[in-house]
Amino acid sequence: MTRIQLTVNGRSVQADAEPATLLVELLRGPLALTGTHVGCDTSQCGACTVLLDGDAVKSCSVLAVQAAGRRVTTVEGLAKDGTLHPVQEAFIACHGLQCGFCTPGMMMTATCLLQHNPRPSEGEIVHALEGNLCRCTGYVNIVAAVQQAARVMSGEAA
Amino acid sequence: MTAALRFGSGQAVRRVEDPALVQGLGKFTDDVAPDGQVFLRFVRSSMAHAKLLAVDTDAARAMPGVLAIYTGADLLAAGVKPIAIAPGFKRPDGQAATAPPKRALAVDLVRFVGEAIAMVVAETREAARAAADAVMVDYEALPSVSDAPSALQPGAPVVWPAAPDNIAAEMRHGDAAAAAAAFAGAAHTVSLPLVNQRLAASPMEPRSVLASFADGRLTLRMSSQMPTGVRTSLVDAIPGLTPESVRVLVGDVGGGFGMKTGIYTEDIAVAYAALQIGRPVKWQAERVEDFLTAAAGRDLVSQAEMALDASGKVLALRVRSLANVGAYPTTTSIVLQLLIGPWVLTSIYDIPLIALHLTSVLTNCAATGAYRGAGRPESIYIVERLFDAAAREMKLDPAELRRRNMIRPDQFPYQNPMGQVYDCGQFEKLLDQGLALADWNGFAARREASKARGLLRGRGIATFLEWTGGNALEENVQVQVTADGFVELTSATMAMGQGIATSYVQLAHDVFGVPIEKIRVLQGDTDRANGFGSAGSRSLFTGGAAVRVASERTVEQGKQLAADALEAPATDIEYSAGRFSVAGTDLGIGLFELAGRQAGARIVVDGSAKAGAPSWPNGCHVCEVEVDPATGATEIVAYASVNDIGRIVSPTIVRGQIEGGAVQGIGQALCERVAYDAESGQLLSASFMDYALPHADGFRAFKTTFDESVPCLTNSLGAKGVGELGTIGATPAVVNAVVDALAHAGLGRDAEKVQMPLTGEVVWRALQRDFGAPVFG
Repeated sequence: MTRIQLTVNGRSVQADAEPATLLVELLRGPLALTGTHVGCDTSQCGACTVLLDGDAVKSCSVLAVQAAGRRVTTVEGLAKDGTLHPVQEAFIACHGLQCGFCTPGMMMTATCLLQHNPRPSEGEIVHALEGNLCRCTGYVNIVAAVQQAARVMSGEAA
Repeated sequence: MTAALRFGSGQAVRRVEDPALVQGLGKFTDDVAPDGQVFLRFVRSSMAHAKLLAVDTDAARAMPGVLAIYTGADLLAAGVKPIAIAPGFKRPDGQAATAPPKRALAVDLVRFVGEAIAMVVAETREAARAAADAVMVDYEALPSVSDAPSALQPGAPVVWPAAPDNIAAEMRHGDAAAAAAAFAGAAHTVSLPLVNQRLAASPMEPRSVLASFADGRLTLRMSSQMPTGVRTSLVDAIPGLTPESVRVLVGDVGGGFGMKTGIYTEDIAVAYAALQIGRPVKWQAERVEDFLTAAAGRDLVSQAEMALDASGKVLALRVRSLANVGAYPTTTSIVLQLLIGPWVLTSIYDIPLIALHLTSVLTNCAATGAYRGAGRPESIYIVERLFDAAAREMKLDPAELRRRNMIRPDQFPYQNPMGQVYDCGQFEKLLDQGLALADWNGFAARREASKARGLLRGRGIATFLEWTGGNALEENVQVQVTADGFVELTSATMAMGQGIATSYVQLAHDVFGVPIEKIRVLQGDTDRANGFGSAGSRSLFTGGAAVRVASERTVEQGKQLAADALEAPATDIEYSAGRFSVAGTDLGIGLFELAGRQAGARIVVDGSAKAGAPSWPNGCHVCEVEVDPATGATEIVAYASVNDIGRIVSPTIVRGQIEGGAVQGIGQALCERVAYDAESGQLLSASFMDYALPHADGFRAFKTTFDESVPCLTNSLGAKGVGELGTIGATPAVVNAVVDALAHAGLGRDAEKVQMPLTGEVVWRALQRDFGAPVFG
């Protein structure tokens, strides 16, 4: 068991982790951040996507100890002071979610994309979402939501 | 427009479910972690068919953190019963339908890869996993069979001795002699082998169960579409349980699609373990476990024939189908293919004669069950493929051939050859709208343009209907108006992502006129409400109708209570937007204040509604594809649909249902397939690496419209179920488009030999005249 320190959603936290503990297990277990979901065993579904030092990663494929000393942002950290992030707003406005299980991972991937590429093309959005699976929406409104979030975040009217 | 109308039924609103879900505040089963929770893991068969010579748990029991290990023998000794098939179905010899006992843990024999043999309960997930790996199982391998045609061959491995022919059940419908005469005298006949391949429903949240036993009651928190049905089945299976001693709780459900409708053997096992151990026991299925043991969809192999007269009028349909129901079918596995699918086989067409011979075949596979459409996609695929084949045979426009056979508006109510009665439909009107939306007549120019780019363009159409309601047509809803300012609606229907709570809130808002934030929906608690649950696209037109009835009754009762409070005649009391008032005065009392004056500080009113019949949503879906002849890769380039789902409560939601559903149908057409190795019976598609779900790079530019002018006549909302319609229409529309492209590339009617999924390899091979082995034994 290793004691690690990391920053999660802006707060410094300490936790004990076994060498084999996955980041997603640390988040959902000891840290009780259950918005990050697990939908597969093979790193395909992307429901567990979080930001690690600002980059989207599948937290089922990162060891908890690898996150030591680093910044982790989960879906719980997207809203600020009770105001939803534009990506969250856009997912609601565009009906970009149905059951909501894949949604946290989708939004974290989208947030990472928009930080690196504020005005992505439709093709770039689709490419960025390649590693996130959704069974409900057919992706139609997810892509629309990312486009809308991009417009809002870059200062255009939605 | 007033604020009230802006959020009422028929208006596009933001879903009430979404704020919590986008903040990660949903409450899925595995998000709940009570103190003292322990973890269950199954030991699963690595063999498709084998005798269990020994299950050695000694080493596993000695491992750290292990609390208990149970085998099939333990559950048998405790009197835990298998899940039974409901009576009514018969084998060809007249005996009752039969299948091996569907036990929570195997006894003596395993019959498919993944069947649970033992279960380990331990303090941590890791300890449970390690101990499960340490359980030693000695097998004596037996020959296995994993597809229906092979299982019917003489000398095939026998899955269950009581069915030495591997036939679990069989049905015939229609008039075989009359159909044979019609075929003999027909001007045109077509015959197609058609495979509706096995699919994995794949909700993004795998199954999940948390069972605890305290104060004499067993509580199951789980991901389910049918909490009451799970409770009933648990009571049937585990000795000593009663409906009163079991509570099933369902929080957020991460997708269902029919896969989470019935009880699973795993649910029984987890409940049993919780009863023994006295601590909360959690089983969170890994994805591989859903692939191995969750109910699979479809898996129907058919030889389908259509007879037509010289004018193109269909005289008869004849279908021989084999349904691979796996080793341990449920009633659902059997009824979907033997009865429910046939109910819609003649679809929107006036076809006088059918002759169906349908067989449920036992194999060494996981059981099949409900998956979005559940029997109807298979039938609609069959009839829509036949129409295209007949049109090609007769050199007719496929839309025109369909038009000549459609049920006319003056034929309603219309009884089809399966005895099903359609209340209404304007099928030709939908066809015309669909053709216009798709620019059907402009296709030739688009085909030329594709050709100029070296691509083969095809066009496919599906005009169709489906049956909704699950034949469970009554629902009850309780309204509670509380002193702290809420209208609570309690229902036994179940949210699973379809947005039913939002639609209920809109319907209640119509009646109460209070802000939608003041209306809450409570579901998923068998201590509060019991009923059929959510399946078969039934929830809105049964539960939603009950919401309206209960809400209206609440207002009526409120008028009486207000009359007492205001000392005025009830006939003088008016209600508007949360306030009762005496007509012509400024005397009044608020709805919530009135609730505060009642016993228990609330007004409680029950209401129920019963639809008179299933609803029959229908549509016209038109798809265009481009096939790259160099690779066989198929791209959908246009998809237009007109849908009749009766009256619409939530426009945003129904569009999401149609388009999201269509992508599932496209998945069946182009990429998805559950594959078992024919020799070993191993599951080859046991992860999302091997089972190809549609990704974001698929088609998204849907043109989707609705015709609301044909409200359902048999329920008070006028709504028709929408949940499965898109899936049912998409599969034949897409496949017909690909077949059209191949037929025009020189294959002619040989193109009809292709079978789903139409992957690049399948299409490329077809272009080389390689259609694989014959599919029907």
